Amino acid sequence: MSENNSTIFILDDEPGMLKALMRLLKAEGFTVQAFTSAKAFLESYSPETLSCMVLDVAMPELNGLELQEHLTRSGLLLPIVFLTGHGDIPMSVQAIKAGAVDFLTKPVKDADLLRAVRAALQRAVEQRELILEIASLRQRYNSLTPRESEVMALVVAGHLNKQIAADLGTGEHTIKVHRARVMEKMGFEALADLVRAGERLGLRSGR
Amino acid sequence: MNWIVIIWSMTAAASLTLAAIHFLVWWQRRTAWAYVVFTVTCVGVAAFAGCELSMMLAESPEQFAVALRWLHIPTWVIVVSLVGFVRLHFRAGRAWLAWSVFALRSSAMLLNFLVGQNLNYREVTGLRHIQFLGETISLGVGISNPWMLVGQLSLLLFVIFTLDATITVWRRGDRPLAVVTGGSIVFFALTGMAQAVLVLWQVVDMPLTQSFFFLGIVVAMGYEMSRETLRAAKLSDDLRESETRMTLAAEAAGFGVWIWNLAGNRVWGSEQALRLFEFPLNAEVSFDEVTQRVHPDDRERVATARDRAMRSGGNYATEYRILLADGSERWIASRGRLYMSGNGKPDRMIGAVVDITDRKMAELELAQHRNELSHLSRVTTLSELSSSLAHELNQPLAIILTNAQAAQRLLAQEPPDIAETRDILADIVSEDERAGEVIRRLRALLKPGQTQRLPLSVNEIVEDVLRIARSDLIGRGVTVHTALVERPPQVLGDRIQLQQVLLNLILNACDAMTGNPPTQRHLTIATTHHNSKVRISVSDNGCGLLVEPERIFRPFYTTKQDGLGLGLPICRSIATAHQGRLWAQARSTGDVQPAAAPPTGGTTLHLELLAGAESKQ
Repeated sequence: MSENNSTIFILDDEPGMLKALMRLLKAEGFTVQAFTSAKAFLESYSPETLSCMVLDVAMPELNGLELQEHLTRSGLLLPIVFLTGHGDIPMSVQAIKAGAVDFLTKPVKDADLLRAVRAALQRAVEQRELILEIASLRQRYNSLTPRESEVMALVVAGHLNKQIAADLGTGEHTIKVHRARVMEKMGFEALADLVRAGERLGLRSGR
Repeated sequence: MNWIVIIWSMTAAASLTLAAIHFLVWWQRRTAWAYVVFTVTCVGVAAFAGCELSMMLAESPEQFAVALRWLHIPTWVIVVSLVGFVRLHFRAGRAWLAWSVFALRSSAMLLNFLVGQNLNYREVTGLRHIQFLGETISLGVGISNPWMLVGQLSLLLFVIFTLDATITVWRRGDRPLAVVTGGSIVFFALTGMAQAVLVLWQVVDMPLTQSFFFLGIVVAMGYEMSRETLRAAKLSDDLRESETRMTLAAEAAGFGVWIWNLAGNRVWGSEQALRLFEFPLNAEVSFDEVTQRVHPDDRERVATARDRAMRSGGNYATEYRILLADGSERWIASRGRLYMSGNGKPDRMIGAVVDITDRKMAELELAQHRNELSHLSRVTTLSELSSSLAHELNQPLAIILTNAQAAQRLLAQEPPDIAETRDILADIVSEDERAGEVIRRLRALLKPGQTQRLPLSVNEIVEDVLRIARSDLIGRGVTVHTALVERPPQVLGDRIQLQQVLLNLILNACDAMTGNPPTQRHLTIATTHHNSKVRISVSDNGCGLLVEPERIFRPFYTTKQDGLGLGLPICRSIATAHQGRLWAQARSTGDVQPAAAPPTGGTTLHLELLAGAESKQ
């Protein structure tokens, strides 16, 4: 858990609520940044920071759900904990479906809020790790020759060496050599790891 | 005693009697100058008769001459007073003629004492004795005085003057006065003059009997004066009858009449008025006694209305309660007018009182119903807002909880953060007060209350209502614009009811905008004031009025599925009860607009109230 270099954004149009949430989270040792409007938040937000967000649903202009949608469309993966004064079930379903970590109702118990925030940060960490992993995979994958990429795609798709050789119109031995080079360049020893990497790179669906 | 003495004495006595009577009449009515002039004429005629008598009974030419000389004094008196009478009573006659008569007659009298033994004889040389009415009387014989022409000319002029005045009166239409009085004066003056000319120029042998002709004139004048007196008496009868009629009408209508005499501070009341106030009948009461009857809470208002009437010298109108001996209350409407005395000072107030208890009770009952109805509507409106209002209460509670939990953590730290905890406690207190404020406001709106009339600021009403509706407006995605005029004059009204009207207008405006995309819902609230009117205008840019504007104020007209259609009618009745107006119109470019709103479309509702804190009651 990397609470020390992470930031929690709080967004609520009610200054009193904002202040109270800041106090609670700061007392728990979090770094907190508070905003009273979505606009102010978007102006200062940078995706590099490891962060999550506590977001009020009912706000003038852009409300919480609209902000969530906006972030998703912009490809920004920011785990969100929703806080609402009067939430209903359809609203919470929409939020969770759109990827919210939790949907809490005010007044909120500190334990619930902290648990949700920690979960959100955990997800942020996971997302970051995933992103880093994919980035490194992508780097390694890019070092493959075109022929090796073809072989990897077919391996990941579950084809046997013999089938691959037939598909590519070459000998089984050549395929074995390519396959060993792929395993080496990608840094895997087990076939299962390569298959998972292939999935993450989108090879299976990408075809 | 002979006949001559008896007849002439009676003539004098009759004249003096008339003089005495009319002098007494004048004594009662000092402004009636015609009476005093008539009195003088009568005295003159009596004196004239006396002189004539001494002439007839003269025993020497000197006696005759002296009596004739003195005769000219009553003649002057009679002629001058008759001229005065004609001018005063006929209100006619040429002034230059009147002055000419006066001048000639005065000259004649001067000549009478300066030239010869008298105006008529340069010298009376002897007496002749003739038989007249069976008695022996004296007639003067001597040299005629030509200056007597002056006197006779004056009489001729007098006849002309009177004739002219009589013709004027005739033309004016007062025929009896012209014929009887004017005609008599002309006739007797002419015949008298003719006889005087004949006798004094010694053409015929007979004594002067002019006092008879004068008596004729005096009788004609006396008739005219009594006619005048009869008219006055009839007028007084008419007056009494009209008073009776008015009293009857007033009693039938339940009105009591009062007259407040400012000088003595006494109040006269008609029977009905006295009965209304439970005063003993046929008694005059003092003003203070009347004031004592007025309900203590209403005395100031009555005094204010009265002082205003006194200052402006105009009408007085007020409604107040009186407290009767048995502790019961009656509502009284009182109306009156101030009357000035001759010198322009307030003299008395005359007016009417009527019992309006039944009407007042009906009004109060109506107001009660209106209160109940508006309360019902308030409760309904607030129930529409209930979830927003719950949020409004929930918010401070949530803040308090989170703050308290933060404080627990800060105190558990080592060392505990006392400074931050202190701040937290201050915030908790203020949030708690905020929650209390929400509850207080809600309770005020939900409570059925009596209508109050207090000076209020329309801007405060707008701000209060926006605070209540804040969450709802955010929830509906409505952007609020306010354009409040600086320092508007205060209006006299009921805060809760006016808040209710505005809240209704705002919620209606929001409903009209549900078809707009969320970023295009603009609510504008403007306050303006013009002359003595203050206006709150609520505009939306929603779907606009689908029907003619007046229709939305009809009961049971609604566009909402679960609406009763009573909100706006009740709002209008509240506006009317405030002597204000409430109306709707299509939003126009003249209204205060948010820059972001589309230029047309939508509706504006105006609530117009009277400025100023002066009560109408």
